[in-house]
This record gives sequence, structure tokens and C-alpha cells, in this order.
Amino acid sequence: MAAYVTVGSTGFDELVRTVSTHEFLQALAGRGFSRLVVQCGYSVGLFKPPPTVSETFGITMESFDYTSWPQRLVDQADLIICHAGTGSILEALHSGKPTIAVVNRGLAGNHQNEVASELAAIGYLVVAEPRNLASVVAESTYASLRPYPRADPRPIGEVIDEETLL
Amino acid sequence: MIQLPSLSAVAAFIAAALLVRLYFVLPMFGRSSRALSSRRKGKAVARAQANKMLCVVLGSGGHTAEMMRLLQGVDFSRYTRRLYVVSDCDVLSLDQIGLVEGGRSIQNEEYYVGRVPRSRKVGQSWKSTPASFARCLLSVTSLLYNHRPDAILCNGPANCVVVGAVAMLLRIIGIKHIPVIYVESFARVHSLSLSGRILYLLADRFVVQWPGLVRKYPRAEYIPHLV
Repeated sequence: MAAYVTVGSTGFDELVRTVSTHEFLQALAGRGFSRLVVQCGYSVGLFKPPPTVSETFGITMESFDYTSWPQRLVDQADLIICHAGTGSILEALHSGKPTIAVVNRGLAGNHQNEVASELAAIGYLVVAEPRNLASVVAESTYASLRPYPRADPRPIGEVIDEETLL
Repeated sequence: MIQLPSLSAVAAFIAAALLVRLYFVLPMFGRSSRALSSRRKGKAVARAQANKMLCVVLGSGGHTAEMMRLLQGVDFSRYTRRLYVVSDCDVLSLDQIGLVEGGRSIQNEEYYVGRVPRSRKVGQSWKSTPASFARCLLSVTSLLYNHRPDAILCNGPANCVVVGAVAMLLRIIGIKHIPVIYVESFARVHSLSLSGRILYLLADRFVVQWPGLVRKYPRAEYIPHLV
């Protein structure tokens, strides 16, 4: 099984550091994952897993700053761990893959956290912070999430039609 | 000899006439947006072929991405012409327009990209805002006056406040009634954005994507899972 970690278009130092810790990789291996792909954005230098961890846990790892084709990685993943930006969350939910949205407390006045916690309350995703990400993976609550409904933007077309028919 | 009305009487009459005009044309005094929404559920809207122009206001990354999703719900065979309003420093939105328009060249008979100076950059000082706002206002006015779109769709970038205001101006002075449809961003769960709070007064239809907002803003209509 593969896990895909994505920080989106900027960076997220704490998340990238967290997913290279012994504790996190152990949790991942404990849930049966054998592959970890990390899109780091500008936090790219911070993915430094302990040297022997690959052999210890049997996880192959890959990291890069940006990718031109994230969809392929999303499709291949069995778990998506993304930063809690609205765009990333929507991409992850539409993919139908179990999603853990990681909140960045460092961003002040950020409404993204509202979206993540609201969606978590409905049961579409799991919210975590870098400091508890390993235990959230270990608990594997992500495995019993509700599927996110298919987006349907057609009502917007209908609203515009109504207004232009008047 | 007939006595001419005094200047103040004339001014009072004009002011009263203007107020009556505002009352009848501005959405904030008008019918509830939600009433229309419930009517929509009852009847199917005729989707006649029509040669209409839709004005789409684009902003920065998140707003633009969401707008591209919303546009998937718009029938382009009805809105055969699109006018995109884009900030002049925003090149990423141009790529997105290219994608949604199927990779056609930037300017042809089907869509037009109007680039306007940004009304206020993120973090710009409030002191320098009036001047850039005025430049944006002039630019948007000439765009809407020249193209006269049949509807405006916007979802939160600062420029949509200017576009909404200009649309109301054209309506008040009787040039064209252009309905303004505002969709608040998916990111706004409990409160409206600044643009949203202003457009709540100016938009003919005000759509939110989270149910809690309808309780606070009764003119809003809640439509789930749009994006």
C-alpha cells in the first residue's frame, strides 16, 4: 500500500519533518504501508528520514518539491495526507481516497481549518496536526470514512439561466 | 408670472426620484434570493438556445480553481460568449482560462479576456488603496460598458466588488440590467469574506456552500456540493 503526502503549492515544514520521523514511519509500516511519496513544496530540504529506516520498516520512499502530474500519485495512493488547504482537501476528497488533512497552526486567521474540521465532523476526512499525525495513522480511523458526494455544479448554471430569463 | 421652483425643491425632487429608483433596482431591497431558489426546485427552467454573454470574474489561485469547477455547470452553448475579468498581474488564471476554454487561442469570437489593474493587492497599504481602486474602477467600467454581458458570475476575489458596483451603476442609470450572481467560497464555513459581505448587498443571487451561513444571512441560498 502507498501513502501520498502533499503540502500543496507552498510548503509546510512541520508536516514534512513529521513524515520523516521514526515514529511516523513506524506507524505507517504498522498499518501495512510499503511505499511513501512526499511532495514537499519549498520544504523540500526537510524530508530526512533516518538512514536505516527503509530496511527496518520495509518502506520505499520518494520525495520531491513539485510534480507536474499529482493526479497519477493520487490515483496510486491508498491514503492521502494533505495540508488542510481547501484546494488540496477537495482534490483528495474527489479522488475517493481516505484522507487525513493536516492543519497548519502556524497560519494565523486561517479559514482552511474551519473547512477541515467541518468536513471531519461529517466524517468525510480525518483532521490531524503534525504532533499527533503518527498516532492518527496508527489508530487508522481514516479507514472508516464516509465517501464524499460527487460535486455537481449544474445548479449554478440554473441560477444564471433563471436570472437571464427574467 | 409662474414662480420657478426653488433650487432646493428641485434637488429634493431629484433625490427622492433617485431613492425610488434605487429601491426598485438594487437587489438588497428586492425579492429574497431564497424564494427564487425554492421556486427553482418546483419547475424546470427552459434551457433555450441563446446567444448570451457571461462575465466571469477571476481572482487568485483558490478562487480561480473553484470558479473553474463552477463553470463546469454552465451551459456554454447558451452563454456562447464569455468575458473573463482578470487581474493584470495574474498569469495563472490565464492558463486556467485556456484549459476551461479547451486550449483555444486567447482572443477569438467566443471569449474575451479583460485584464484590469488589481483593486487591492494582498497586504497593500490602505493609504495607496484609493488610487489603485480608482484605476480598477475605470477599467472595469469600460469593459462592462463596451461588452454589456448578460450576467456576471463571481466568487470572492476583490475585483468582484468593483465589478458588482459597476453593474449596479449601469443598472441605476438605465444602461443595462446585468444580474450579478455571487458564489461564496467553499472555504467560508461560518462567516462571509469581505467581498461576500459587500456583494451580499449588491448581488441578485447570493449562493453559499455551507448551511450555517443561511441562518446569518437570510438572503443567501445554500447549495451543497457545488465544487
